[in-house]
Amino acid sequence: MTVGVRLDEAAWGLLHQALDLYRANSRAVGQLRHQVARLEEPLRIAVAGPWRSGKSTVLNALMGEEVAPVEGADGAFTWYEDGAAPRATAYPVGQPAQELTVVKSATGMRVDLGWGAGEVRDIVVQWPTRALRQVTLIDTPALTGAGERGRVSVMDRVLRDADAVLFLTRDGRDSDLRVLESGRESAVGQAAPVNVIMVLSRADETGGGRIDGLLTARQLARRHYRDPRVGALAVNVVACSGSVGLAGRMLSESDFGALAVLAGVPRAELEAHLLSADRFCRGDLPVRMDPDLRAALLDRFGLFGIRLATTLVRSGFDNRVKLSAELIRRSGLTELREAVTRCFIDRRDTLKARSALAAVETLVRAEPVRGSEELVGTIEQILAGAHEFRELRLLVALRHTRLGFDAELAAEAQRLIGGDGVGLAARLGVEHEATVQRLWEVAADAQGRWRDRAEDPILPLAQRRGAEVVVRSCEGMLAELAAGGR
Amino acid sequence: MAGIWLDVLDEIARTCSAHGRDDLLQTVRQKRTQLLDPKLRVLVIGEPNQGKSQLINAIINAPACPVGDGRTTVLPTVVQHAEAAYAAVAQAPPPAPGRSAGTATVVAVERTPVALNQVAAGVAGTVGRRPGGGPAYVEIGVPRALLGAGMVLVDTPGTDEIAAVGGAGPVASPSRADTVLLVSDSTRELSVTELDMLLHVMRSHPNVVVVQSKTDLVADWRAVAERNRQHLADAGIPAPVIPVSATLRLRAAAADDRALNAESGFPTLIARLQRDMSGKADQLARVAVQAVARTVVEQLAAPLRAELATQEAEEQSGPISRLHAAQREVDELRRCSTRWQNSLNDEVADLLSDIEYDLRDRTRQILRAVDEAFDTADPLVAWDTFQDWLERSLVEAAEANHEWLIQRCDWIARRVAANFARYGYDVLPPWSMTMPEDFGERLPELERPKVDRFTTGQKLFTGMKGSYGGMLMFGLATTLAGMPMINPVSVGIGALFGGKSIRDESKQLLRRRQATVKTAIQRHVDEFFVRVIRDCRDAARQVQRMLRDHFTGLTEELQEAIVQSFRSAKQEADTDAALREQRQREIRLKMTRLAALYEQSQQLSGPRSAPGLLEPRA
Repeated sequence: MTVGVRLDEAAWGLLHQALDLYRANSRAVGQLRHQVARLEEPLRIAVAGPWRSGKSTVLNALMGEEVAPVEGADGAFTWYEDGAAPRATAYPVGQPAQELTVVKSATGMRVDLGWGAGEVRDIVVQWPTRALRQVTLIDTPALTGAGERGRVSVMDRVLRDADAVLFLTRDGRDSDLRVLESGRESAVGQAAPVNVIMVLSRADETGGGRIDGLLTARQLARRHYRDPRVGALAVNVVACSGSVGLAGRMLSESDFGALAVLAGVPRAELEAHLLSADRFCRGDLPVRMDPDLRAALLDRFGLFGIRLATTLVRSGFDNRVKLSAELIRRSGLTELREAVTRCFIDRRDTLKARSALAAVETLVRAEPVRGSEELVGTIEQILAGAHEFRELRLLVALRHTRLGFDAELAAEAQRLIGGDGVGLAARLGVEHEATVQRLWEVAADAQGRWRDRAEDPILPLAQRRGAEVVVRSCEGMLAELAAGGR
Repeated sequence: MAGIWLDVLDEIARTCSAHGRDDLLQTVRQKRTQLLDPKLRVLVIGEPNQGKSQLINAIINAPACPVGDGRTTVLPTVVQHAEAAYAAVAQAPPPAPGRSAGTATVVAVERTPVALNQVAAGVAGTVGRRPGGGPAYVEIGVPRALLGAGMVLVDTPGTDEIAAVGGAGPVASPSRADTVLLVSDSTRELSVTELDMLLHVMRSHPNVVVVQSKTDLVADWRAVAERNRQHLADAGIPAPVIPVSATLRLRAAAADDRALNAESGFPTLIARLQRDMSGKADQLARVAVQAVARTVVEQLAAPLRAELATQEAEEQSGPISRLHAAQREVDELRRCSTRWQNSLNDEVADLLSDIEYDLRDRTRQILRAVDEAFDTADPLVAWDTFQDWLERSLVEAAEANHEWLIQRCDWIARRVAANFARYGYDVLPPWSMTMPEDFGERLPELERPKVDRFTTGQKLFTGMKGSYGGMLMFGLATTLAGMPMINPVSVGIGALFGGKSIRDESKQLLRRRQATVKTAIQRHVDEFFVRVIRDCRDAARQVQRMLRDHFTGLTEELQEAIVQSFRSAKQEADTDAALREQRQREIRLKMTRLAALYEQSQQLSGPRSAPGLLEPRA
């Protein structure tokens, strides 16, 4: 979007304006410089959620390796960044940083924190993997409820240190939503829900582990997605079974072999053995299988995962690659990764700028000085004026009211303003390899149609306003095409 | 044994009505009805998606409660025995205006039958409920032997907020349940919220069981159960943990597989429920009565304790403090009266000396003027003019002095009155001091002093006397020159000498006259001074006397009022102390009775120490 002020430039300008204002305050200057540096760093995505919501599992599933959690790091933030060699450093409070030993395993690595967990604030793990090229993943301690007194809540720190959050919840219950809502007190927080994807984790447990549990979880996610309350908090809602996804990503030939053996047992008989975890581990299966192997399988796949995998093997996914792909697809991990790419990585400039705005706002609110009102004014101006935020707000509005547009128009508007991805092709809904000429035509056509709508006096005001935003997006695309074509 | 707990319960009810707590009485009566009812009411609570509905289904082996995904249970569901399966949404009619919501008269609930295939919608709260109505619940009847024996299962909407437990209406309230099952699934240990929820329920309800559901899902459910037991022990919650698997139970029922049923853990749970049911009239009831006694005694004792505490606080602020204030007032008045008397005396003394000095000063100035005037002027010539001036000056001086006196007196009066300002009594006495009209007449008459006039005869005589000497002196001298004794020279000289002695004599006379007049005037002024100053003194003294009388009267008046209030405050304090003493005795007596009642209830299942709140105060 090259029309008007670019959001990243505006954020950069704001940071420097703040630096100038706070030049006498060395601590504030340090914070602001850190924010300026962050603009250039990879996007930070935190995986947060209440106790036992599957944070580390989802993180591992995203990485495709078993790297989390760090043993004993209960209260610490664990940062996973890209690095040349595996390395882990602990940063205890009030003590020098300490190197930790990294034990490589067949499926990933293990880091053990040698001492008491309460003292360590951050652990930075460097791990060479493609998944971390563009993002830094942060594994966070369990979110505690509002009852925890006397310390900065984990959610506050998550929102401060991360550009985007994967918020894990088992079922999107009220108390979890309230934790998220607590982060929306600032002006930046209220501007648009851009930095949170809600993940219904442990989707495999939905419906008591029935075979259609994941489908139900997906429906639930869609229901949450349309819920205005969730809409105000999260940019997307995805159901994902971390354990099944991870198992799928790390499916080895021996795993597949074991599953294939199980699938070979007649269905009714196997079902009886898969009734409970106990029965599966201890019962006498008609095929020979080592109890340790069974326990390992159960541990990795879960009862539901084994049921799903055996059913899949039986229905034709009869080699490791096929089964792995299908498990990943079914687990919702694909959707989650897509959502992360579409909502976070593609919008990294917006997210970075947002973090900068939020940091400046926090600073100004905590330590107001003469002239800081002007900064607040600038922040509000950026939030209200930046086209990215207007698009995001319109997206939310479209999600649960559609502003009175019919389904087709609403879908088109959503696509044009980047609801299905912010690339030109995704916005215009054309094939990826379309020519500039074709893109131009489609964009110009869309712009013309939506301009008519924006200027149609018969339509209600909300619709015209919405249409204006869409027109603006189209203009942006046209400008981009023009700049690229020149 | 049944009779004994019933007696205690009735005693509790009597105590409630004796304390005038109809609300508690209502609760106790309801509990009584509930305990006499042979049915066992089992309430199932827990966080969302723990499998509460599924648990009920598994207990009765029938898909009575709809299970599914997301938030299915919105309305509490009561599952009970019926000859034929039915379902209905029950709802109390909206509270009629005019009748307060507190009157817990049994309102006939309206039942809307719901088709069995629509139960899910009913439970989700979308069917059969009238908007604006009271709390609604779903009633499901199932023909089952277990239910037929008198068990009623109540499913509640899942919540992770303590405040919301039982919030779905009276049907879902733990106080109306005999057994509470908290459902928590095996995928994790008990959460903080769940433990809090348990503590909350345990306060009013002793019979709680933690049901750990979904044991089929995970392999390490035994470890989880062990840790849950540990958590419960740490939190001091005497609730057993029963791990179950609804899936296995339902499967076992379908396949009629006894081993599988045993594996599901349900036999233990059902045995527990059946034991509760059979023991309801005895063991369960006794425990319930204990809990009721505890709640009621706490509730009754709390206001009494609070009253005791406030009474102590009141002692500082009530009549006693008023008494102290009155005492202080009396002292203050005493100090005030000394103060104003002193200040009156001092001021009047000052006044007198000031006035005297002032008058002295004025008269001295007049005298100085007189001296100056008569150093040159001849009293014979100037007297009349002078007399006028002197009289006028003196009258002026006296008047000015008197005026100042009046001002000073007024000032003194105000000054003294200021002492009474805090009583609002700073009024001046109704007095007025005016300048006497006849000021001039009251002054002493200035008599014309006797002065020697230089008469013509005297002049002649003096001239003769003077000229004689001169003529003789020069006559003798000229005789030496051969001239006669009387010659023109000697006559001339004689005339010259005569003139001179006349002039000398007249000057001397003038000086004498002047001295006489001065002395006379001085005497006159002195006399004037004495008279005026006496008048002033009289006036000042009069004023002093008048002020003293006025303010003494005022002080007495005030004293009377203050002493009166002091007396009434004392009386009030005495009465109040007596009343409070009596009330405290009453409260103590009531507390003792409550403690006895509590003891009695605790005796139902062995002795236990009374809670700290009932121990008598030191």
